[in-house]
Amino acid sequence: MVDQPNVNNGVVLRTTGLSKSFGRLAAVKDLNLELRYGEVFGLLGPNGAGKSTTVGMLLGLIAPTTGDIEVFGLRLKEHRWPILRRVGAVIEEPAFYPYLSGRDNLEALARAIGGISRSKIADVLERVNLLDRAHDRYATYSMGMKQRLGVAFTLLRDPELILLDEPTSGLDPAGTKEVRDLIPQLANERCTVLLCSHLLHEVELVCDRVAILKQGTMIASAPVRELVARGQMLQIKVADPSAAAAVLRSLPWVKSVEEADGYLIVDAPRDSASRVNQALAEQGMFASELVNRGTSLENVFLELTGKEGRD
Amino acid sequence: MIRLISAELFKLRRRRMTRILLYVLLGVLLLMALILLGIARLTQMDLGLPLAVPVALTVLSSLGTVLAVILTASAIGSEYSWRTIRTMLTASESRARLLGAKLISAITIILIGMVIGVAAGFVMTLITTAIGGQALDFDFATASYARDQFLQFWRVFYVMLPYISLAFLFSVIGRSAMPGIAMGIGLLFVEPIVSGFMRLAGGWIAEVPDFLLNRNANVITGLGELPFAFSSIPFDDAPSVAHAAIVLAVYSVASIALAFYLFRRRDLTG
Repeated sequence: MVDQPNVNNGVVLRTTGLSKSFGRLAAVKDLNLELRYGEVFGLLGPNGAGKSTTVGMLLGLIAPTTGDIEVFGLRLKEHRWPILRRVGAVIEEPAFYPYLSGRDNLEALARAIGGISRSKIADVLERVNLLDRAHDRYATYSMGMKQRLGVAFTLLRDPELILLDEPTSGLDPAGTKEVRDLIPQLANERCTVLLCSHLLHEVELVCDRVAILKQGTMIASAPVRELVARGQMLQIKVADPSAAAAVLRSLPWVKSVEEADGYLIVDAPRDSASRVNQALAEQGMFASELVNRGTSLENVFLELTGKEGRD
Repeated sequence: MIRLISAELFKLRRRRMTRILLYVLLGVLLLMALILLGIARLTQMDLGLPLAVPVALTVLSSLGTVLAVILTASAIGSEYSWRTIRTMLTASESRARLLGAKLISAITIILIGMVIGVAAGFVMTLITTAIGGQALDFDFATASYARDQFLQFWRVFYVMLPYISLAFLFSVIGRSAMPGIAMGIGLLFVEPIVSGFMRLAGGWIAEVPDFLLNRNANVITGLGELPFAFSSIPFDDAPSVAHAAIVLAVYSVASIALAFYLFRRRDLTG
């Protein structure tokens, strides 16, 4: 058993060279991921980027073409059930038996897993606010209730690792907030969470680190703050933007300078505002405005994924 | 495995379709009991209690097989239609065990249904015999009668197995209940017609039905001492009992083995 954070260097999940091809289509290419104990890790990517295929492989639903998956220090291929016993998952749209009530759905799954008491079922139903509708048939549930039942199923086995694939899909704003609030709570309860989503604002709010997939390849992986910081620019207002742009372009540490709406947008190191100001002043140009233009994960994502991310 | 079987039985028990299939069986058995009562009144023949169990078993071998095919195909096929197969797999020790639990549970429910069918058939005949004013004579219920009906019960079940197995296999292949139901029921009704034409064709083609299901199933169910109206027409060149038993077993085992092989290997996407 590997349930202490210091065991296995605090790594809960590790994929090494993970790839999956469906015929000629390479859905996931050489994916190397590492999830550390207690963190909320976001897996981002446009539709078809390979997020769901990755989750499918992590759950043993899809066999990798090559590569290895290690969870809790155990290889998934050889220790599927001891691993899955400790993993909860909400895979895309939740899927339950329409003719059973919410409670009976959990009862059937609890019987399959084993060792889960009826009081535990009531507990998780209460936790996701479904206790008063627990005896209604699943078919009568709204999308939000279905999604919450999915979360309840995830919580049923006190998971140490939770895989959430688009958990707020189809939810109204209140339901989205409810699930979003639940994610950091789970992380505080010794859970490690892998969140797949294309709702970047949601990911930015709850994730510690993210990886971005594009056409099956991981194109970026970093803490959210670092990734957002990478996308920050300096926004400068000067009397003669063209002349100022020429000055700034000559500086070796300035990556790019663009003119937009009378402003210069300068891609330069985050702490370079004073140096930029100095360089302009030395040429007799003075900035009337100089601000760090904030960016969001969404901007970074769109920049990295290009056209696909906008689809 | 026990845990998974318990979960599967829980789901099957709660499913309305399971009850509907049982009601259909009971309805047909009641109809048969009433028909027998009518015939007995018209012909003054004693078609009462001694026929109750054999008639119920005959109904089970035909209609019962149809219902068993629907139940088995739905047990696996609906999991794909509702996409619950992925949810179930994440809660299962292994794919093979999940599929095994599904098959065992479906067979358990089928056996329970058969027992209920036989018991209900007997009770219904008891009632119709009493209504018809015939004597409730239990002299027929000798040890040899009981033994033969017991054996016939298992013969009927044995004959059902290849149809159930094929329905199971085709539901796995088609990822839906419909291919399994179509294959199971289609074989049950179309094969005798096709076999008839093959027999007429002569030559090696005439031998092919000996390796299909219907002819061999008739050999096995024909071993029971069924009343004249219910026994299949004897044919001179029928395959031997051993041949029939082996052919049916091969169909059952091969279908189940292939279903397990495919289920274990396939990716579950979408």
